[in-house]
Amino acid sequence: MNDLIRQAIAAEAEERVDSRTVLANLHKAKNRKPMGLIFGVATLTVAAAAAAVIIPTTLKKTETAPLANAPAQEAQNVLLIGTDDERLTDALLFARFEADGSATMISLPRDVYAGSSGERFTGLFREDPRKLTAAVENLTGAKVDHYAAVQMSDFGRVATAVGGVEVCLANAVTDPRTGASFPAGKQVLSGDQVLPFLRQRMNLPHGDLDRVKRQQAFLASFAKKITKDNAMELFQQVSRSVEYDDGWDPLLFSARFQGPVQVRTSTLPVGEAVVRNGVHGFAPDPAQAKKFVEEQLSGKGTAETGCVN
Amino acid sequence: MGFDQFVTDRLDRLLGYATAITCDKHLAQDIVQNVLMRAQGKWERIGAMDAPYLYVKRMVTNDYLSWRHRKAAREIAVERAELARHAPSMADPADAHAEREAMRARIAVLPRKQRAALVLRFYEDCSDAEIAQVLGCAESTVRSQLSRALQTLRTHELARSATLGVHS
Repeated sequence: MNDLIRQAIAAEAEERVDSRTVLANLHKAKNRKPMGLIFGVATLTVAAAAAAVIIPTTLKKTETAPLANAPAQEAQNVLLIGTDDERLTDALLFARFEADGSATMISLPRDVYAGSSGERFTGLFREDPRKLTAAVENLTGAKVDHYAAVQMSDFGRVATAVGGVEVCLANAVTDPRTGASFPAGKQVLSGDQVLPFLRQRMNLPHGDLDRVKRQQAFLASFAKKITKDNAMELFQQVSRSVEYDDGWDPLLFSARFQGPVQVRTSTLPVGEAVVRNGVHGFAPDPAQAKKFVEEQLSGKGTAETGCVN
Repeated sequence: MGFDQFVTDRLDRLLGYATAITCDKHLAQDIVQNVLMRAQGKWERIGAMDAPYLYVKRMVTNDYLSWRHRKAAREIAVERAELARHAPSMADPADAHAEREAMRARIAVLPRKQRAALVLRFYEDCSDAEIAQVLGCAESTVRSQLSRALQTLRTHELARSATLGVHS
């Protein structure tokens, strides 16, 4: 039987794609910043993390009488964390929620060296959430008021619960891997269409970078879909895995959301990948990072909007 | 060894390996491309190792076994199981090609880790110790993964021969 197994496996391996195709893709990728790679599939957690913050608060509103005299709100900085099954951070967003509920979110690549002993973001939350918030404050120069973390694996159910998210594609595109195809222009994605949309990298002009853009566009649109009516279901979908800090008063926080949430997203520029102690990561210039964050938070930065590839 | 040289020497083999463990050439391409791009970033360290190929193979395997591809792997397995259901009973037992295809379908529906161990043994000719290194587990685990895989394949093989025997 062993010979048969050997032949069968060899036949399977024989199906492999032409290595020249892969070589060409590798050469193309060489000239790009590797940021998209780091985000990978996992960036979609970001949307789930956003939901984790917004949902419990919206939900509270539905259970209580409308706040007739809502207290004056201050802007709050909330760290949104998407974790994998082993509680490692896969997606990290620094989000400023303004008094009117609008939000500015900055994606922080998880492989930035940021810990006090030079660790990358990715393992800090699991060690101690306070280590992560301290590292983010150190890098961005901005205070983290609260954090919320959600498990990425919950995201599929969350996306289904909002009943569809509108996105806009610049061109019609087919993913050779999943076979999914999307027409050009505005369209509403739901259920099974969501993951192929968020995961596609092949057949896109900028590969992984386009994938990151897609995920950010999805996040912005997704946040707008959260309403009083779907909040309960969304909350149930994520409630088992959401964690947030003890010092947070979600009811007070919620008073700011009076309608659909406007979200602006951007990504912290991190430069070229470097290797430290044998670990691959990013070491953005601290002064430039702080400047970028300040500009984004003060609304001076350019928002990434419109149709994506 | 430089990164470019490594790619020239090993890319085709790596694609074959990845295709054999994933049973999906597109997923395999995706994984190999991603892994090589990551490996390039830290080639200084990988290139200096005794066995860079083993290390990169480990990256490929880990990537496939990670939760990231759980859904894709399940879909592929379902598809293959469907194919396998239709294929064998139609086949002529004397047809070596059909026999091989039936075995291929059975391998495709094994649990991911068992299939990886099997491919490492029968395609890459790895020792138990090398397989343990790639899978990041103990040698005893490798042996149990392999023996479970072989047991499953043997059971199916016997069932199949018996069925074909009746028909012929």
